[in-house]
Amino acid sequence: MDKLIDIRNLTIKTPGGRVLVNRVDLDMEKGEILGVVGESGCGKTLTAKTIINLLPENLSWEADKFEVLGVDYLTAAARVKKALVGDRIGYVPQNTGFYLHPMIKIRDQIADGHILYKKRTPEQALDKATRLVSAVGIRDAPRLLNSYPWQLSGGMRQRVNIAMALMNNPALIVADEPTTALDSTVQKQVVDLFRQVNNDYNTSVLMISHDLGLVKYYCERILVLYAGQVMEEAGAEELFEHPRHPYTKMLIKVIPSLNIKKGEKLHEIPGHVPDLHQAIAGCVFKDRCSYRQEVCGREVRDQTIGSNHIFRCNFDL
Amino acid sequence: MPNISFRVKKKYHLYGGASLTFLVVLLCLLSYVYMPHGPNDMNLALRFTSPGENPGYILGTDYFGRDIFSRIIYGSRSVLLVCCLAVALGSVAGTLLGAAAAIVKGPLSAVIMRSIDGLMAFPGILLAMMMVAAVGKGQQGAIVAIAIFMVPPFARLVYSLILDSENSLFIKAAKSYGVTRSRLLRKHYLPLLLPRLITQFTACIGAAIMIETSLSFLGLGVQPPHASWGLMLNEARQHFLQYPYLAVVPGLAIALAVLGFNLLGDGLNDLLMRRRS
Amino acid sequence: MLNYIYKRTSHALQVLFVVSIITFAVLLWIPGDAAQLMLGADATPERLEALRTALGLDRPWYLQYWEWLKGFVHLDLGQSYLFGQNVSTLIAQRLPVTLSIAVFSMLLAAVVALILGSLAAIKKNTAIDYFSTIVMQIGSSVPSFWIGMIFIVYFGIRWQWFPVAGYVPPQEGLLPYLNSIALPSIVLAIGEVGMLLRTVRTSMLDAINQEFMDMARVKGLSSFSIYFKYALRSAMIAPLNVMGLQFAKLIGGTVVVESVFALPGIGRLILVAVEQRDVFLLQGLVMFVTTLVILIALLVDIAVMFINPRIRVEMQGE
Repeated sequence: MDKLIDIRNLTIKTPGGRVLVNRVDLDMEKGEILGVVGESGCGKTLTAKTIINLLPENLSWEADKFEVLGVDYLTAAARVKKALVGDRIGYVPQNTGFYLHPMIKIRDQIADGHILYKKRTPEQALDKATRLVSAVGIRDAPRLLNSYPWQLSGGMRQRVNIAMALMNNPALIVADEPTTALDSTVQKQVVDLFRQVNNDYNTSVLMISHDLGLVKYYCERILVLYAGQVMEEAGAEELFEHPRHPYTKMLIKVIPSLNIKKGEKLHEIPGHVPDLHQAIAGCVFKDRCSYRQEVCGREVRDQTIGSNHIFRCNFDL
Repeated sequence: MPNISFRVKKKYHLYGGASLTFLVVLLCLLSYVYMPHGPNDMNLALRFTSPGENPGYILGTDYFGRDIFSRIIYGSRSVLLVCCLAVALGSVAGTLLGAAAAIVKGPLSAVIMRSIDGLMAFPGILLAMMMVAAVGKGQQGAIVAIAIFMVPPFARLVYSLILDSENSLFIKAAKSYGVTRSRLLRKHYLPLLLPRLITQFTACIGAAIMIETSLSFLGLGVQPPHASWGLMLNEARQHFLQYPYLAVVPGLAIALAVLGFNLLGDGLNDLLMRRRS
Repeated sequence: MLNYIYKRTSHALQVLFVVSIITFAVLLWIPGDAAQLMLGADATPERLEALRTALGLDRPWYLQYWEWLKGFVHLDLGQSYLFGQNVSTLIAQRLPVTLSIAVFSMLLAAVVALILGSLAAIKKNTAIDYFSTIVMQIGSSVPSFWIGMIFIVYFGIRWQWFPVAGYVPPQEGLLPYLNSIALPSIVLAIGEVGMLLRTVRTSMLDAINQEFMDMARVKGLSSFSIYFKYALRSAMIAPLNVMGLQFAKLIGGTVVVESVFALPGIGRLILVAVEQRDVFLLQGLVMFVTTLVILIALLVDIAVMFINPRIRVEMQGE
């Protein structure tokens, strides 16, 4: 099968030398829905931003291999990367902020990339936008297109973002916490939409989330990041049925289930994500790990089980 | 995101401003101790000496053969003293008015703030010129004009700061103990206001120098034969086409003095912002 | 929307009312009244008394104020004793000069500030950013009368690019007209550009860090449309407001510049009125100029409302 994304040993650093993302491998195949999970600050957003060429200017990245849709980011010129992202990758941002320009009507900003890359007239583009906006579940598309973003509810805005990401029939959609700050009913609709797009157009989706519960039901494969490193990687079912890494186990325990008894304590993971200022010897998770042994302070190893279940721990629990 | 070069740039504002300001103050102090010649001593034999022509007159002489360097030194007095005094008067009046409007509230507050709005509506130097017409030309006129010009910025600053902080917890707590108004003002608002007032004061001096020199240049400020930088430029107007050096030094002195106070104000402001964050 | 316009207009009227009181009060305070000034120190008491009655100066101040305000509303600004003419006539003669250099310099300052400020924000901490900082600082600290004098020496006398004094009305040819206002406008613009540049840079920086800019970049748009369609649009609001305020400062600044370049404008008239203490002329001039300035600020506010759809629709909702 075609490899859509092939990243080996991605490392992202601040100018002060802090390592924010540490030797991360990430593969994606065509038509796949890949989930990347982890607590905030674990490097999942930065990884995604490198893929869409949006890494903040003061951060630098390096990798042994970095190919997206056949373009080698290590050698490609800036304009080639920009064109690739604009033409073939859709980005669905977090819903907390204003990714739509508040002073421009939606009709005037939903299609400008489409017009540029697909060489369409504004009329054709508007036509396509109307169809897509209806397809993402908005009833009165013409009215919506004539509104300003701040006149819409959060859910509506996120649908517009998704429709905008779909304008160029992208091969890949990068969704960064697409459901944060949405009502839970809307959350489900939005994620269902990704599922549908994936089905209908065979578009791959890279979904970043801190919500394991959501990822569990929609992703085929899941990558668990912690402090800039991959802790575990496996098919969704496998990961939830047989988590190997202590961190993954804890994350799964943290998912609030519907049948919590009254008065029962909610689970939480003790401690905090470590400070990345100094290089950490051994396992990055050791300070919060209840299985910690002396060896964890010195080294940590990757283990592989079956064909594609990888985890980074000295033990197999 | 803070980055290194940005910080260096801001520090340079503070240091650059402080040293220029220091220079002006030094010049002013020097005028009481030493000047190469009396600022009004005429030497008609040495009219229009170019800079460097005569070692006794390093910056040259003017139409009356007066030493430009001495007049520059002496002129710093009128700039600095007039402006500092005027801004001091204006800031005190503005602070009191702003505080009164913020604390008393009701119709009195509305009247005060509307008057302040009205004062601010006069375009630029026009208000100052009107005051000069009323008070009369000369130093007093300039001081009154500039002082009134400086009332609105201080009144507005104090008014908005007090209203903003009124909702903060420690003020509410103090009020709930039944602290008197004057104590509230002295012990609680003043420490809050003081840093901002100092910054504003510094920045206003730059603007005041601009007005003072403009008035003198128009012949409405300091009157001859006294020396003031604006007046020197005014006097240079008759002859500067033949003798451009007459206009260079006073203008440069004004520009550097204004620049100094502006930079100092910017630098202090940044310092304040950083300390708060 | 109408509500907003109404609110702003009524505030402007209140301010104008206060301005009229201040103007009247300050000039009432001038020692020796208008009659004394007109007739000179050696006038006989009888003649003084007669003139006072004729001018209405013997009435209480509030009646005088009322008469004056009524006249002002009917565009009757009184008589100048110095020129023996209606103040409004005098203003009408000189207004084109002052407006020409004010508008022209505002345009100049706006164009320079917009280009340089945007570039400085886009290329933050590069040579162009430092250059714009220097322009900003110099522009706001160098006195315009001094720049004017320097310009006259170089551009006027040495190189003879522009005439150094006087005003040519546009009826006598567009080029001579533009030539005659070029130097004063540039000088005035230098004083204005600093503040505007700072505002453009700050609000552009703010806009660049907005999330919608990320989206524009992901869409792979050209730098031109990223910065001009997306960033500049939201960065324009603050500079426009500042421009409204600056226009006020500018009108004040023309006094000095007109004096340097010997232009027969409103500014010169003001200077003469102050020097000669022509109270009626000064009152009329101050009221006229201030009204103009308040009106422009009001219009700018309303224009900004039309540009910023958020205000517009919020106001409709009220």
